[in-house]
Order: sequence, then C-alpha cells, then structure tokens
Amino acid sequence: MRTAWISSSDALRNRMIKPFQVPDTEPEAEMPPYMESFLAHLRLLVGVPFENMIPDPRMLSDESIRFFYLDRSWTDRLVDGAIAVGKIGTREQAHHQAHSAPVNQQLDFTERGVRNLQRGKSFTDVKKEISGQQPPAGIITGFLLRSGAVAGWPHMDVRAYSSDIPEPLEPGSDTAKSQQLTTLRLERLSPAILLALFDGIPQLVFLEEPHHGVQFGVHAGRTAFEIDLRDATGHQIRVNPADPNSNPVTQSVTMRAGQRRVIAVASLRASLVNQRNTHTTMPEQKGSSAFAIEVLNPPWRQRFEGTVDHAEKPGTSGGFVSIISIANRVADVATKNAFETAITTQTITGRRG
Amino acid sequence: MADPHPGEMILYDDILPPLLDNSYRMSITTDVSIAGAPQPLNSRDAFFNVEGPRFSLSPTEVGGVFPPRNGHGAFSESIPHIAILRRTLPWERELDPQNLIGTPSLIPNVPPPQGQVPWMALLLFEEGEYTLLQNQPLEQVVPADVFQRLGSPANIRCDAIEASLDLVNAILPSKEELQLLAHVRHVNKDDRELSIEGSKGFFAVVMGSRLPNENAKCRACLVSLEERSDLVSKDPPANELVFGGFFPGEFVAEDAQAAHAQSAAAHPAVVAATPAVAAASARDVAIARSRPGVIGIGTRFFFNTRLVLLYSWQFQTIGTGSFRDLMQGVDVGLIGKVANPGHPPLTDTCHLPISVDDRAGVPEKVLYRGPLVPFQLTRDTLGPYHSADQARRVTPETGAEDISYACAFETGRLLASADPRLAQELMRWRREAYKQSSRGDSVSQVQSALNMTQQVDLHLPVIPILAQTAVARIASGAGPIADPTGIDKIKDVIGLNPIAVQKAYNLPSVSAAVNMLGGDAGALGAVVTTQPQTSRPATTIDAVAADSASLAHLTAARDRILNNTAAKLGGKP
Repeated sequence: MRTAWISSSDALRNRMIKPFQVPDTEPEAEMPPYMESFLAHLRLLVGVPFENMIPDPRMLSDESIRFFYLDRSWTDRLVDGAIAVGKIGTREQAHHQAHSAPVNQQLDFTERGVRNLQRGKSFTDVKKEISGQQPPAGIITGFLLRSGAVAGWPHMDVRAYSSDIPEPLEPGSDTAKSQQLTTLRLERLSPAILLALFDGIPQLVFLEEPHHGVQFGVHAGRTAFEIDLRDATGHQIRVNPADPNSNPVTQSVTMRAGQRRVIAVASLRASLVNQRNTHTTMPEQKGSSAFAIEVLNPPWRQRFEGTVDHAEKPGTSGGFVSIISIANRVADVATKNAFETAITTQTITGRRG
Repeated sequence: MADPHPGEMILYDDILPPLLDNSYRMSITTDVSIAGAPQPLNSRDAFFNVEGPRFSLSPTEVGGVFPPRNGHGAFSESIPHIAILRRTLPWERELDPQNLIGTPSLIPNVPPPQGQVPWMALLLFEEGEYTLLQNQPLEQVVPADVFQRLGSPANIRCDAIEASLDLVNAILPSKEELQLLAHVRHVNKDDRELSIEGSKGFFAVVMGSRLPNENAKCRACLVSLEERSDLVSKDPPANELVFGGFFPGEFVAEDAQAAHAQSAAAHPAVVAATPAVAAASARDVAIARSRPGVIGIGTRFFFNTRLVLLYSWQFQTIGTGSFRDLMQGVDVGLIGKVANPGHPPLTDTCHLPISVDDRAGVPEKVLYRGPLVPFQLTRDTLGPYHSADQARRVTPETGAEDISYACAFETGRLLASADPRLAQELMRWRREAYKQSSRGDSVSQVQSALNMTQQVDLHLPVIPILAQTAVARIASGAGPIADPTGIDKIKDVIGLNPIAVQKAYNLPSVSAAVNMLGGDAGALGAVVTTQPQTSRPATTIDAVAADSASLAHLTAARDRILNNTAAKLGGKP
C-alpha cells in the first residue's frame, strides 16, 4: 500500500503551528467580498440596534442634536464578534488571531466605501475607488439628530467642514470643497432620527433644507401679503443694490376675491413682468421656473459651529442659501426629435384612448 | 445636462416626455414601383400604448411634500407644494386636447408664459370643506361628457374629493395659472441620505395657489384635471380689491356668488342638494366672475363637484414648525448631555449604570457605554478578542463591571449569526486558507522527498511539475542499459575493434579501420560531398579596391547592420 505523504495528525499540527495558514499576500487570505463589505458596514454601526447606541432615550430627547466621537474599540469588538461566528475550535481561533491585524487594516480602508456601497455601487468599483486613497482610519465623528425637521424635511443636505468657514459659504466653491469632510454615513434610522458620520473632526456642520423641498411662500406686509423680488440666482434684490443690509424690494401679492386666501397667480405674474422693467437683474418671466424663483422661500441653512451652540445669536447660526439658475426649456428635445425623425417617414396617428 | 454643483439647483419650466401618454397607432406603408408601375403592398398597423399614472399616484412616486405630512407649524404664509420623482409626469397628458377651455386672454404688455400646461393641480382644502371618497367608480367621479372624452375607461376605481362647486371654482387655478404653478427642479444629491438614490436629482414640482389659514387643519390634494374643461377656466376670476386695511374684515360682500347650476343629467358629478335654479355652466360663471362689476345674487352654494384625487396629505397650521424654527429650537450638545442632569445618571465618562443578572442569576449593577462617546478615545490594540468574557472589564474607581465591549462583541456576533450568507462566507474564508495551506504542506513534503530545489508556485498546476521532476529523477537514478545476451562482449575481440585495427595497421583514422572492417559508412551518417568552388578569375587587391560599386554596396550593408544594432540597443545610430 502506498503510504500518504502526510498523516492527518501531522496536517493538523501544521495548521496549528502555522496560524496564518497562508501569507497575507496570497489571494486565499483575502476576505470574500460579502464578508468584507458586511464587516465594513458593521464598522459604521450599520444594523446595530438603536438601544445599543443610545441606551437611555433621555440621552437623545425630542428636538435635540448630539455630536459624538465614534469609539473605535467598540466597533472593533463588533467585528471580532462577527468573525466569532462559526469559530468552533482552536484551529479557527488561531486563524483569527493571526489574521486579525490584516483584516482590521483592510477594513480601515473599506469602511470609507460603505456610503457608496449603500448607494448601490458595486463592490469592485468601490474597492477600486478607495484603493490608494487617503490614509486609513482617522477619527470618526458624527451626530444624531432627533427632530420633527427630519420627518418633515426628508433628504436635507448635511455637510461638515474641517474649519469654520463664514457665510456666505457656497458648497460648490473650491475653498469649501477642500475643507469638506467626507460623509461616511448619512441615514435616517427612524422617521425622526438622522445619523451622520464624518471622517475627521468637524469645526462646522450645517444642515440645509432639502432643495427639492425648497418652499414657496409669502409674508405679511403692511397692507397685504408680499414677496421679496429675487434675481436669477435667488438672491433678494435690495432697495440699494450696493448695500446688502438694505431692505429687499417687495411686491404685494394680489389675491383672488372671495376671502379664500387664493393668490391671483396670473395677476402676480403680470406685476412681476412690470417689475422687471425697473429691476433688470430679475429673471425674465418666461415661464413657470422664473415665476417659481420669485415666490421662493430659499432653503434655511442651520450651522453648528464648534461645540458651542450659537443658535440664539441671529446672523451666526443660520442663513439663507440661494444658488438657483433657470434653465431654458428643455424637453429631452434630442430624444423627441430622434424619435420623431425615426417615424415621420411613416404615418403616426394619435388616437384618443 | 450637467449636474448642478453642490448646493445649487436648476429650475426648468417643464420637461416633456417624447410621447404623451396615449394609445398610438403606427401605420407602415411602403411605396414600391417597378418601371413606373406601382406594386401594391399591404400596409400594416401596429398599436402601442404609452402609459403612466392617471387616476392615482403611488406614494413611491412622491419625492416630498410641503408643508410636511401631518406636520404642525406656522405654515399660514407658505404655499403648499408636492415634489414628484417622475420629472415628466405633470406634462405626460394633455389637459384639454380639444381646446374646449379656450386661449387665455392676454393682459396688456404681458407675454403669455412659455411651456406646457400640466394636467394636475394642487388644491388646498380646510377641514369641513371637503369629503374624501375612496375607491369610487370613475363614472361617478367625473361628469359623463368628461368620462366619454377620457375614452370611457372601464372598471376604473379611484379616490375622489368632493367639495362645493363654488369653492372649487374659487380656488382652482385658471389654465394659465396651472402652467405657472408647475416646474421641474434639478438638485445636487451628493450630500443626501440614501433613499433619494435613483432619482437622478430631478423632481417635478406642483405648487398650490391657496395659502392655509391660521389655526386650521388642512388637506392638500393633488387632483387630475384631465379633460375637466367644465371646471378649469380660461381666465382667472376677479381679484380682491386692496384697500388701506389688511384684508378688511368688513369687506363681506359675497363676490359674484352667482348661481351655479348645471343639469344633473349632463353632469352627474354635480350633486344637486336643492333643485337647480339657474342654467349657466360653471365655466360661464367663472368667466362672468372675471369681469368686474358683475355682482351675483348672494346664493349659498348647494352644488358639489368631484375631482379625481391622485394624492393628498394633511397638515395643521398651529404653533411654530418651519424648518428654521425647528432647527433653531434644537438642543445642541455632545453626547452625554441630558436635559435633566442625573436622569439618567450618566458618569463623567458617559457610562450608564444598568442592572443585569449575572450568569449565576444574581442581579448586579454594571456600567455600559455605547459606541458614541463625547471625547476621543485611544483604540484598543489588545485584540482580537475571541469571546465576550475576554472583553469584560472592571473599572478601578468603583469596582463595577464595564460590559460595553462585551456587549459590542455579542451584538456583532448576533448580527453576523442573523445573516446566513455571512456565516457561509466566513467559513469559505477559513476553508480557502486551510485548503491552500494543506496543499502547500503536501507539496513541500513531496518536494523534500524528491530533493527538489525548485520553488513551486501553488497557483500554477503543480502536478505536471512534480511529475516531470519525478521522471527526471527516476531517469537519472537508473543504471546502464541491461544487455541480457552479453553480446557487447564481442566488441572486445581485437580483430573486430576498429581502434585496435587502426593502431595495428597504422591507419590514418578510425573511420578508415571501420571501412576496412566492412562497416557501413551510411550507417555512420550520410556522405557529404564538398561544394565545388566557384571558379573566379585571378584578381589583385588593387582591382578589388577599384570596384567602387561593390564597396559602396558593402558599406551600405555594414551601415544598415550597425544602425539596426544601435536601434535594437535603444541608442542613436
């Protein structure tokens, strides 16, 4: 009989004296993508019950925001616990012991891609993006917000900056972009609770009313409802254009007869068309988008600066945001034309259904 | 179209679909003629429908509403609006394809707005002004002529809103106003929470035109106005006269509350509470009311009308509740700040004392702290931990046990166990390593047995390499080829040995001896005859030097070779 090259007891002994089993450089040592992505999600507390984060509801009372640092030891233990599944013997234990450091190092990178993974990007794309990026595993900070604003204004804009940039802050500008901290996670945990995690320590966090939910409104003037005239980017037009603190130019809002608080939209537009003769920075009242700009209440931006609450100080804690542009009428014209050219050589007959 | 920068939005008057929702017939005819004689070919008709939401709107199509659904707040100066995820939806149908409403009359010096008229409107009703009807047959919601113009779709049930005709006429935007109240927004979605994904940042926005009253419970209703030429007016009704006062309360004259009547037979949706008195159609009333000076008889409204309700939500205008108010009112602090200090009794390290039963069942007080801490902590480098107990700690100050990390460990373990796929992947991760490791061991054992010095890459097929090495080893270890008959002894016979023969006869070479012994030269190799030399005339060195053509040829050949070599070596010639 042929004798085996290696006996089973020797094989087991080899497993034990070589806890790494395979060197990290070998592809077999790499975590399967699903496992890597699951553990990276755990690192950012995805799926962790809310009671574990806030053990007493009084720690996050209604209408409050709490900033925090993320305890990396806590999240490391989460990962240890997850890897403990199926660890039935000393062999698995030795393997985990040996591979724990490289696994942690890898996760320090992968956790930066969790937000993109959550947005439905493929794991390979995300890995490609984060490989060779900034150094791994900095300090993670964040906030929990419990407020009616979360429920009422879904999809608000949240941004964090590494320095306290004063208003006017245009998030699209280069200064702002260079200071912006990466948002690692931004998710509503329940209808009224928003969790945000940032990569780094922010000096300024702001929450902005969602732009698609930017409201329209009027305000009560002396004799009637009024609106402030706005230029094509949504900025108020001032009585004295040189002085940003002078009063905005207003237009009284005509109402329909009948005491039903119905705005006479067509008449209002007619007045706006006339106003443009005087205030040329107003957008031309071509269609509904120019009209919408004039009746806009631009989004409110709430700033949280440092660890001190400036909410009571007007002028420092918030401000209006106004960057809006009007596009010319588009109607996917190219698509439409292409379709029409394709079939106009034939006869197309629309028939009322 | 470029995406807007962070913090920007772009507004569009409308975004039209390439084809409106409808049924279409595609008719294909081909003209072929041979030598001027047309060949009859059958034409062919194909039918297709472009479909979209028509009598109801799924909540998943709604991107957001304002004022917030079930919101309480100071919304009395806000114009309600709804954001729809499908950017073309408001323009996917025609409001009035047969132009029964007519063209709005122009206001002097005001160009008409450009863009398309949407088929929907956002109406605001206060509590008590409307009745919500659910799951109604369409025939009972719209008047018969409208139903017929809609194409008499059978078995359609939809939600509807019923309100007095007078009210609907007063608050419904006119045709031009409808157009002004709908637009498309394109926003940047990089810094948003997740559920917005897939929308590309486009939203169709439909605004209302009515302001909510203070302290009122309101319902905003997105209604379909498709073919409702009985309700939508060409021009808006008359405006409120603005006096010195602010919406004077004494101005109570019921403006043009003309009798609205419609024969119940023609308009089943107009439910007559008392017999009809006048005969003007709703549209006529609306037009009449748009002319100043027409004062109606102060009749109270008795007639109701119904509208197809696509989507609706409620809110209340009380207290403060705008985004700004809420955000300014938010209590700001680091985690661990509690409204009433001591409740809960957090320690200065943000640990919370909690009661647990230990494994013996004895109740005890332990400390717990979640992953969110008010200060920066050093990362524990003692890991990995293999069990929760390993991560339990005792705080030196109080002697109480700290179970925070043990709890984290268990949470991770439970989350992972809850995911069957993860368990599989974990096993796969280990198995791959074990398998490769044991493969490596086997190969190294074989290598040492074979005395192999060559390194074997485990990712290449190992078997052929080992097999080849084994064969080479076996081959090299084998002795000389066996000669069972002992016939090779014969070569020792002196007379048969060519070397001895050569020596004995002093022959010039061994091959001559072989030939003498009768060896077959052919068996030793083919006879190669020397090439006869090409005969050349005798020439002198001067003659060669004088042959410049040949020399030039040779120089060119030499240069070419030099150049090629230089190019191959990467240098310049």
